[in-house]
Parts: sequence; structure tokens; C-alpha cells
Amino acid sequence: MSEEILTLLKENVIQGRITEEDEGIDENLSGPGAVELTEAALEQNIPVQDIVTKGLTAGMDIVGQRFSAKEYYVPDMLASAEAVSAAMDILKPHLEKSQVETKGTFAIATVRGDIHDIGKNIVATLIKGAGYEVVDLGIDVPTDKIIEYVRDKKPAFLGLSALLTTTMLFMGEVIEALKDAGLRDTVRVFVGGAAVSKEFAAEIGADAYCADGFEAVRILDSVA
Amino acid sequence: MLIIGEKINASIPSVGKAIADRDELFLTALAKDQATAGADFIDVNAGDGRSTDSSPVEIMKWLVDIVQNATDKPLCLDSDDPAVLEAALQQYRGERVMINSVNAEPEKLEPVGRIAGERKADLVALVMKEGGVPRLVEERMEAADTIMEYLGRLNVSEEHVFFDPLVLPISVDTKQGITTLKTIEKLKERYSKAKTVMGLSNISYGLPARAIVNRSFFLMAAAFGLDAAILNPLDARLMSLVKTADLLTDKDPRCKKFTNAYRKGLLVQ
Repeated sequence: MSEEILTLLKENVIQGRITEEDEGIDENLSGPGAVELTEAALEQNIPVQDIVTKGLTAGMDIVGQRFSAKEYYVPDMLASAEAVSAAMDILKPHLEKSQVETKGTFAIATVRGDIHDIGKNIVATLIKGAGYEVVDLGIDVPTDKIIEYVRDKKPAFLGLSALLTTTMLFMGEVIEALKDAGLRDTVRVFVGGAAVSKEFAAEIGADAYCADGFEAVRILDSVA
Repeated sequence: MLIIGEKINASIPSVGKAIADRDELFLTALAKDQATAGADFIDVNAGDGRSTDSSPVEIMKWLVDIVQNATDKPLCLDSDDPAVLEAALQQYRGERVMINSVNAEPEKLEPVGRIAGERKADLVALVMKEGGVPRLVEERMEAADTIMEYLGRLNVSEEHVFFDPLVLPISVDTKQGITTLKTIEKLKERYSKAKTVMGLSNISYGLPARAIVNRSFFLMAAAFGLDAAILNPLDARLMSLVKTADLLTDKDPRCKKFTNAYRKGLLVQ
């Protein structure tokens, strides 16, 4: 019974169905969606850890593969990530109670001078969908505000986004400021955005360059 | 419909490389081809000079020279750095000119608006303020009000303002198509002498079959009163659509441009 419910949950994540009201992405599904199935799984006392890994993460893995294969597009991926995100909101108090360790906190910001938020939001949604705690610091975030956050909250990961060739330079500024504040070794810095390249990421001393949100999740999972 | 040719932009990889390699032949041909294809303005974006040994100002002056020697079409000087725009204007010999762009943030609106006022340049103004891209029509109109208030003081007349209503990906928020169209409508209503201009490709980000989304959205925007578009004039199918849009929105008296384009074999169906 528990296997069946988790398979259904996984299938509904793949189909991007948040609630029973939603249509599937490429299959006509009816019945409970990710939210209802997560509640049902809790009622049946299925371990929270299993709900996350065998239901949500397993579903998101397939979504990532389909996105890479160009079978899925941005709206599909967002629907799936939102389904996972809604399920995680339900699971959060239970995760804390069962003392399952979360995968760590990922703080994300669009650097100063840059007000683009769409890419940052997509990446944040996907990372949250992969089971990380995501703190969105916003857009046009001054470097000292980022440093202050890292000092006070000690996130394991920091994601920096910039879309413009002029503002991506401030990613380097953030990394230098982390060094000056003696905080560089406390946090892994991920960078991405339209103007950013692998070479640029290496040049400014970032820990990783992410071409898209799924790559960010892959790299996170490999180092977390 | 006024067409601003978008191809001379350092963020297009092949063009960025041509700028880095100082490939005058490539850039000259790209300017000429766009003019021949029917562009009314040629956008010139030289990037930040990072890939060259030049400053952003030097690389822009160099590129302006190449384009103005290649064609008589007016230029649309494209940079968010007031110093680059000022240098480009000094380098440019032509009379009619467009500046791309400002938004409602005073830091840039003030210096660039002043330059535009003195030069009587057309000015592209994005209807957004600091703090992000407004998702609602009303917020965008507030930004437009701020822009007009400033530009009025800096002697930029309404006729010279080209409002960009902002185009956001439909894949992320399905309301955004309608929001852009309604913003165009409101802008035309409130500032009847000002023009509206937009780029096309952002609307289809993240979707398959992007071309059909871009073309359809362009026609809808034309119906809502769009005056100008920043696009690739070398796309013959898109340029056919431009002529068709003019035909259908009473901008082509006696259908002359349309039928002539057909007779010359320029309409791609």
C-alpha cells in the first residue's frame, strides 16, 4: 500500500499536479495530486524520509531528465517543482519532528545593480524542490548585505545570479568580500545567469558554475 | 511600424566575436544587410569591451564609426552607461538618433535624459523602477509617469519618448502576455504623442516553437498600438508580418507597401 502511494506521488510530481484540480502535463490524470497524496502518506505513517526520496525526489529526477532531453520545457518543470514545494511545506513540521537532517541551507541572491529575478526564482524553486532549505535574499542585493547574512546565518551554500555583463562583475566582488571577512571557507559559492560562463566562474574563484537549475541541483547533491 | 535592427549587439556570440576580432568587414555587412532588409534604425551595442583591449567607451566609438560608414540609416545607441552614450553621440555624425535605454531610476534617467534633451534624440524608456520588474499594468504606468515627469523637466518632448512596456516570459507567468498588451494600450491612452517599442523574443523564453509565439505576439501588440519593434530584420518571414501588421492597422494607405512588397517577391507566406 505504501509503495503504491509513493509511486502515485512520484507520477503526480512528474505530471506537475499540485492538487487534484490540476491537469497532468502529458497524461490525463485525475484523483489526488501531490498535496493530497502527501497528506494520505502521512496518515498511513509512511516514514517522512521515504515520502521525500521515493516520491518527491524520484519524481523530480525524471523531470530533470525530460528537461535535459527537451521533452519538458520551463513551464512543465516549474509545475513539477511547485508540486514538490507544496508537498515539502506539508512535510516540514514532520521533518523537524522526526529529526531528519535537511540537506542544508541555500541562500540565493541577484547581485547589486541587477534586478532580474526570473532565472533566480526558477533556480530557487528547483533547489527547494530537491529538498534544500532555500532563503531568497532578493534582487539588487548589496554586497555587504550578502556578507552580513552569511556571517549571521552561516548557510552552507550561496547562489549568486547576474544577467548582465556589467553586473556579473559584482559576483567577484562578493567573493572578495567573503575572503576579507574571513568567511570564504564557510560557504560554497555557486554562480549562474545569462552572462556568466564556466571560465568566468573560475576566474572569480566561485566553487561552481551552473548552466541551469537542474545542474545546480546535481552539483549540490554531489557536494552536500 | 518602425523597425530597429537588433543584430549589432555584442551579446550575440558571433557579433561579440567580430567585435573582439575587430572584424570590420563582418560588421559592415551586417549593418548594410539590415538596412537593405528594411530596418529604419540600426541598434548598436558594443558590450563592455571585456573581450577586447579597449574601454567600453573606445569600443563603442569604434563600432559607431563602422556602422555610420556602412549605412545612412539612423543609429540606435544601445548602452546602460551614460558615459558610453555620451561618447557615442559625439562620434555620431547623423542627425536623427535614438538612445536605448533608460528606466524610471533617477541615477540614469537624469544624465541620459539630459543628453537626449540637448540632442533632441529619441529615447527608449523601460517602464520600471528600482526594485524589480513590475508585474502589474498599474505599477508600470506609475513608472511611466515618473519618467515623463523627469523628461519634461529635461526638455525631452513626448514625441521623442519610446516606451518599452516590458515583455516577460509567458512560460513563467501566463498573465504576462496580456499585461504587456494592456500596458501598451494604457500608455497610448495616457501619452498619446509618445511611441511604444518592444523586443519580441523574451515572450517565448522557455517554450518550444518559439517563432510562432513571437510572431503571434507581435501581431497582437500591433493591434494594441505598438509603434516600433526591436527585431531581426534579416528574418524575411517576420518582416512580411511587419508589412501585414501595417496593412491591417491602417498604416499602409491604399495597401501600397503591401502590394509592392508582394510584387517584389518580398512577402514570405
